[in-house]
Parts: sequence; C-alpha cells; structure tokens
Amino acid sequence: MILMAIAAASPTPAPVVPGAGIFTSPLLMSLLVWVTVVSAIAIAILPNPRGRYDVLMKQIGFFTNLGLVFILFVAYNQFEAFLPTAQYEEKVPWLQAIGASYHLGVDGPGMVMLILSGLIGIISVLASLGVRERVRTYFVLLLLTQSAINGAIVARDMFVLILFWSAAVVPIAILILGWGGPRRHAAAWRLVGYWGLGTAALVIGTMVLYAAAGGSSFDMDVLLKATISPRVQLVVAIAMIVAAATRLPLFPLHGWARDVYAEAPIGVTVVVAGSAARLGAYLLLRVVIAAEPAAAHLLSPVLAALAALTVGYAALAALRTIDIRQVGAYLSMIPGGITMLGLAALSPLAIAGSVLSLFAGGMAAALIVSACATLADRAQSRSLQVLSGLAPRMPILAWLLTIAGFGILGVPLFGTFLAEILTFFGSFKNQPIGAFAVAAGLVIAAIALASLFRRVLFGLPNPDAPGVSDASLGETWYLALLAGALLWVGLFPSGPKLPGTDTPLFDQGLVNVLAAGISDISSPYTGATPSPTP
Amino acid sequence: MNVKNLVLVPEALVAAAAVLLLLGSRLGWFGSSSRRYLPAAVAGVAIVALGVELWAGATVSTYFGGGLVQDRFALFAKAAVLLALAIVLAVADWTAEDSVSIGLAMPLLAAFGVMVAASAGDLVALWAGLELAAAAGVVMVSLRRPDLALRLVITGGVATSLLLIGLAFLYATAGTSDLTAMREVLFGGAPTIALAIPLFLAISGLALRATLPPYHLAGIPTILGASPVGAGLVLGLVAAAAAVVAIKVAAVLTPIPSVYSSYLEVIAAVAMVGGGAAALAVRSPRARMAYLAAGQIGWVAAGLVTHYRAGLAGSMFLLGAFAVAATVGPAVMGRAEGGEPALAGMAVLRPARAAGLTLAMLSLAGAPPLAGFFGEFAVGAALAQSGHFGLLALGILGALLSLAAAVGTLRLIYLQSPLEEARRGAALPVLTRLSTFGAVAFCIVIAAYGLLSNPILGLADQGAEALGLR
Repeated sequence: MILMAIAAASPTPAPVVPGAGIFTSPLLMSLLVWVTVVSAIAIAILPNPRGRYDVLMKQIGFFTNLGLVFILFVAYNQFEAFLPTAQYEEKVPWLQAIGASYHLGVDGPGMVMLILSGLIGIISVLASLGVRERVRTYFVLLLLTQSAINGAIVARDMFVLILFWSAAVVPIAILILGWGGPRRHAAAWRLVGYWGLGTAALVIGTMVLYAAAGGSSFDMDVLLKATISPRVQLVVAIAMIVAAATRLPLFPLHGWARDVYAEAPIGVTVVVAGSAARLGAYLLLRVVIAAEPAAAHLLSPVLAALAALTVGYAALAALRTIDIRQVGAYLSMIPGGITMLGLAALSPLAIAGSVLSLFAGGMAAALIVSACATLADRAQSRSLQVLSGLAPRMPILAWLLTIAGFGILGVPLFGTFLAEILTFFGSFKNQPIGAFAVAAGLVIAAIALASLFRRVLFGLPNPDAPGVSDASLGETWYLALLAGALLWVGLFPSGPKLPGTDTPLFDQGLVNVLAAGISDISSPYTGATPSPTP
Repeated sequence: MNVKNLVLVPEALVAAAAVLLLLGSRLGWFGSSSRRYLPAAVAGVAIVALGVELWAGATVSTYFGGGLVQDRFALFAKAAVLLALAIVLAVADWTAEDSVSIGLAMPLLAAFGVMVAASAGDLVALWAGLELAAAAGVVMVSLRRPDLALRLVITGGVATSLLLIGLAFLYATAGTSDLTAMREVLFGGAPTIALAIPLFLAISGLALRATLPPYHLAGIPTILGASPVGAGLVLGLVAAAAAVVAIKVAAVLTPIPSVYSSYLEVIAAVAMVGGGAAALAVRSPRARMAYLAAGQIGWVAAGLVTHYRAGLAGSMFLLGAFAVAATVGPAVMGRAEGGEPALAGMAVLRPARAAGLTLAMLSLAGAPPLAGFFGEFAVGAALAQSGHFGLLALGILGALLSLAAAVGTLRLIYLQSPLEEARRGAALPVLTRLSTFGAVAFCIVIAAYGLLSNPILGLADQGAEALGLR
C-alpha cells in the first residue's frame, strides 16, 4: 500500500544541474529500505524441509545485499554533490491526523551513512555464511535489521526515524539470544535495556520538539526548522544525547557494548559495530548540531567530555582486560569518541571529520571486533593468557588484526587517519581540552594495541594452547573487504581520477559527497545563511 | 432496502447467529461433525456482518428514540470488533474448546455487547452492552472452570455496582441519560467533589472490567483458567467493551475533565508500567499476554486523560489494534496448560500460528512497525500536545518493559527446539486449513494496520468528532 502510494506520489524533482544522472528513481530510497524486507519475507515463507535450502537462503541474503549495493552505487553516482539539501526525496502522508508522513531522502552525510550500511550489509552476510543452525530465522532477522538501519538513515520524518530506530532492537536481541556466545543472555538483555533507554529518550525528545513546534507535524523540515526557545532546545538536546550515547556507545551509557561485541555472532557484531551504532552520532548530527544551535553551543563541552571519557575509558579497559573479544569490543568504542569530538567542536572542518569518521570509524570498529572474534574462534580460546605467538601460525589473521589496529588508531593511508586529521584540526581551537584528552586516550589505545600485538602475535608460542588454524577463505574475504574499504577511503578520499586529469573514474569521492550537507549543518556556527529547502 | 435499515443488519446477524447456536446446542441440532463446518460458517457470518457494516455503516442515523446512534464512532468500534470476531473464530483450535456451539455463541454475544455499547445513545444502552459482553465471558469461563466463573461473577458484580453508582450520579447531575444532552448540560456545570467521587467509582468499575492493574487480581487467574477462546473473549472483547464505555463517558465529561482526569491518569500510569513489569516478571505465556494487554489498555486510558479530540482519536485507533490482538492472541497461542514448554519450538511445528503469536505479542507490546506501535504513537503524540510528558514517559517505560517481555516469549517460539508431547505439557493446536487461513489473515491485519493507519486514524478522528469533540 505504502509502495503504491509512493508510486503515485510526485517523483523526485527533475535534476536542475547539467550532468545529472539518468538512473534517478522516485523509489530509490524505498527500495533501499524495503527490498531487504521483501527478501526476509521470501526466506520466511520458503519451504525448507530438513534444512535442504539453507544454502539458498544464504544466497538470497547475499544477492539481496549485492542488489542493494548496486542500487546504492547508482544513488551515489547520481548524487549531486554540490547540492546541500536532501535528494531522492519521497513524501506520502501517513498519519495525517498527527502530522506524520512517510518522508524519505538523503543528503551528503546520509549518503555516507548509506554507503557504510550497504557495505556493512554485504560483509555481515559474508561473515554469517558459517551459520549452521536455524539458518532461515537468522537471515530473516539479519535482513530485517539491515532494513531498519537503512530506514533510520533515510528518514526525513521523526516518526519514521523512531519507527526504524526502534525496529532494530528486537531482531538484534533475538540474533544474540539465538546464536551468541556463552553470556548471550546478559548481552541481549543489556542491549534491550540500553537501546530501549535510548529509544525512550529519542521518543521523549521528539515529542517535546513536536509539542514546542506546534504539534502539527513530525516532518524534519518543519520540526528542525521551527523556532524553539533555548530552554526547550536544551531539553531536546539532552534527550538526543542520551539516545545517541546509548547507541554509539558513549561512556557512561556503554554498558551493552562489551557483552554484545564479545558474545554476538560475528555477522551481527559487524552490523552493530559498523552501522547500527553509528546511527547514534548521525542522530546527534541531524537533530542537535544541525537544528538546535543554542543547545549545541551550551552542551558542546559536555559532548567533548563524553568523547574524551569514552576514548580514555575504552583504551584503559582494553589495556586491562584478558579476553581478546572484549579487547576488540572496547577498542571499537574509540571511533565513536572521535566522531563525538568532531561534533562537539562545532566547526565545519571538525563536523566534516566526524561525518567521515562515521564511515571510516564504522569500518574500523567492525573490522577490529570481527578480527578479534575470528581470531578467538580460530585459536579456540579468548584468553590472552593462552593466546600467544600466533603470527607464524595464522599469518593472514595476524595481518588483518594489525590492519584493524592501525585503522582504529588512524595511521596514515587509512580512512580513519583523514577523519581524525579533520576532526583534530577542526576541534583544537574550539575544544582544546577535549581534543588533547582524546589524543591522550588514543595514545593509551596505541599502548593497548601494541601490548596486544606483542603478546598475541609476536610473543612466545604457548605450548599448552589448543590447536590453531588461519582464517578460511570466507573469513579472509569479509575481513579483507572491511580493510579494503578503510584503505580505499584513505587512499582516494576524493575518488580516483583519470591519470593527469580531474575527471573522476567511477567514484566521485566520499569527501566530496559528505561536503554536500556540511555547509548547511555548520551554517549556524559560521554565520553563513543556510540553503533554502527546494 | 433502505440503507438506514441495513445499518442494524450486522447486529441482527450476530445476535441471530448466537441465538441459533444456543438453540441448536440445546435442541441437539448439531452433530459430532459440526466441529468441521460450524466455525467456518459462523466466521463467514461475522465477515458478512463486517462487510455490511463497512458498506452501510457510514449512514448517520438514530434508532429506538435515540437509544442507539450510528455514527463514525460506532462504525469504527463495530468494524474493529467484527474483524476481531471473524479472525478469532477462524483461528481457534476447536478441539481445545469445551463446547463448539457455546464457544461460538459467546464470542458472538460479547461482540454484540460491544456493538451495542459502541452505538449507545444513552447510559442504559451503554451499561447493557458492557454487561452483555461480560456475561458472555462468565459463561465461557464457566464451561471449563466454574470456580473461576464464580470469581468472575463476584468481581463483575462489584464492577457493575461501582459503575452503576457512578452513572446514576452522573444521571442525577445532568438530569438526563441521553449522552449528547448530558454533555450539553455539563457545559454549563462546574466540577464538584460530589461528581468526582462517583466518577472515581465508575472508573474503578471499568478498570475492574478491563482487568487493568491494580484491578487485575481477579481477572488474570480467570484468563489463565479459561479455554483459548474464552481467554481471548475476557481479555479482548470484554476489555474493549469497557474501553468503549470509558471513551463515551470521557467524551460526555470533556466540559469538566478535572472530575476524572487525575484519577484516570493514575490508573493509566499504573496499568502501563504495571502491565509491562508484570509481563516481564511472569513465566506463563498466557499470563504474559494478559499483562501485555493490560499495559496496552493503559495506553488507551492515557489517551482519554488528554480530553482532546486527538487523544480520544488516538485511544480509539489503539483500541482497534488492541481488540484484534488481545482477542485473537490467546486463540493463536492455543492450550497454555503446559506453560513455557508448550511454546518451545512452535515456529518449527506450527509456523503460521507462531507468526501470528509473534505479531500478537509484539503488537500488544507496542513494537514497531505493528498495529500497537502506531496506536501508542498516536496516543503519545496527543499526550505531548496536551503537555502530559510525565505520563508519556511512564508509558514509554511500560512499553520498554513489555517489549523485553515479548522478546522472552519469542525466544521460546523461535530459538528453542520442540519438545516431545509428554514434556510439552499441552497438545499442539490441530492444524486445519481454516485455522491456518485465520492465522495468516491475523498476521496480515496486524502488519497492515500500520500501512493503512492513515484512513483508519482518519476514521477514528471522525469518530472522536462524532462524540462531540473539537
């Protein structure tokens, strides 16, 4: 019904800029959201006597995600990087009585998030090919999770955002309960608790905003552009920070992260660390930084403090823990802290850094948790007291773990390096203490990683350790894809060009795409006039 | 035939079918093979009644000197209850019921009671409709557990007394039993303690009928002891009847909301949070469903606290989702004597029922993107508009607790391996084409409620307008 209504709705405005694409579709955003749901339904109703079609279900999951990446590729290449406003918009009235509409669209930062989600989606399926039990249920839930994440990214109406934001909780919790490690129950219930708290905060913040804006519409174009008193802005911003902190996660609302990243099946950790968690920072960017400048100014030191505490705590905890999956879990919190620092700085450069950090940090976080989990699986132990001197016996995993560590730290050539450079350059002026504290946290993280590498990869082999084997081809594929994406953005932030020219080959560059929305978002902090809504 | 006369055809069909079933049962018209065709035939009657209601129900008219009124509110409530009735009759496992003919007749009578309450133009019809629905519940429970039926009679008697006292004082204050006239009189009146106290009693009576925490102590054991259809009747239809009465009384009292809103706010808050917390605490799947339903009916009450059109429309919208999920949910679950093991691995053994049960639990918990979520969101928006942020926060807390409870049951259904018959503790529901069709239809209704929420909420909004709200 919704799809039919969308089809009948006015299409995306015709491109006004020469060179605009020919593949634009009024259904592009809906396709990104609903294709996975249709696939999930297909898998759910497919007869599967005695697991005969388990492989087919995995193939459906894989090719669905491949199709999504193709759609994304079209959207990405047709994206008008020089337009700061939302593109590929779809708008259909939904709950007219309360002013909610099915409004989708994407701007520069949103497109960056979509690319992240698309890549993470296909990598999560690759990481899940080893699932043997209840394959049908697993892939149905995984596809529903991906749909919820994509929906939250492209939502341009707060009602739609809440719908998709909260829709991810149940499938992820069941995935952990059904396919997780020994402490899966604690992990799942903690996830439900923390993410539930975040959802509650999001709903309350939205409702306060809705009431303050006249109670007539949940559309972001109305709510986020309404003139709201600083006091209400503050209430909304605090609620949104709580919502974001539970997702990203940020200290002190990070309680779910260690258990979930350490206990969830690898495919699920990839999705949660890679894209679901980034939604927290994306929410903050969209609702607080872009729309509530008074509150953002007031709370920016708090955000910087949260960023510093998160990075410092995560690094120290990673240094102290003796479980390699928990080390990965703690280290995966660090990119979130850096993203938050960029948002706290309220300067165009830092905001651009934080948006790039959404992508690069998501990839790095997914890589470190999945590399640690794969290593633990292959070495048949999670204990750092047992794991030692593994580099000669598992060279591929050793390389991938090293790349993951470098990705977290942001060494040159990696996408995270560029994100951190932009973030730190943009934040040293506005948030010097926070920036120094985050940098100090990164130093501790480097020590934790060095300690991990020295012990696990290059220490003396433990004669009492169980047998180990290197990563399989499938594991190498998904880990290498994550590492490759990190390196690609680090090497070609503006996309590869034809030799000797400025003509892009097939990728117009993430930095160019994300820049499309930055001018609008940062306009309250630079004095520039925001672009009018088309 | 005049369209105005067609408006009463659904009521006539439902009542006639119920009477025929009771007579047939008494006179031995139905043989042992009746289990095969009777449910399908009666579900067909409910679908025909629903079709007639949707076709002719838009005609605004009055009957019996104003005793019954057909307006948008009546259309909405009657359509919702007929839909719930048709699905529950189709999806039920009739081998788990004590008597097919009575098991079919009582839901029909309860639905008839809700329909009478929905189109009531005065206090008498309002009360009569509620009592009819409740009496049908007592009969259903008594088929299996006379002791629990007695308990239901006693608590029902208390509820009726409280409600009658309240309505009598309301009548005495306004000098009329006609709801529209009463509302006009109250426009010129002032809120008084003398009116607030009887309304306190009336709301308590309705809460007792709807099994709302903290008035659930008698109702929940009854629901646990009844047959699946009986449990759905008490949990869904009787609660829906009480909610319909509450909405109509709240609409009458909107000129002087202060006489009831504070108490209703407490009731709603306790129900939303208490329902969610209790659902999380209990282990029995049916008890969990009962508490989830109690939590959601708390949201319906919260919408009434706003005493605005948007709030009442939100409550009605949610009531539609609630009526379907709460009535059908226990029937989809089937026998619950085995407790948690009865549901272990249900997804493997009965996939359509498992999907239905999943959607029922999640919808009652308010999980997106199902019917309950849309309804609770509409009520939440109305609470925000009217500044009831505290109640909204408590409602969200209750919804989170409910969601966690629902996840616990889904774990049983999807992640546990099926147990053998002896350890299961209860027989699996018998697989028939009708029950599978009913389960699939139920899934479609619960999932499509959100997609079709614009016209449904629009109709609910017109219903609130028909009650005189602006």
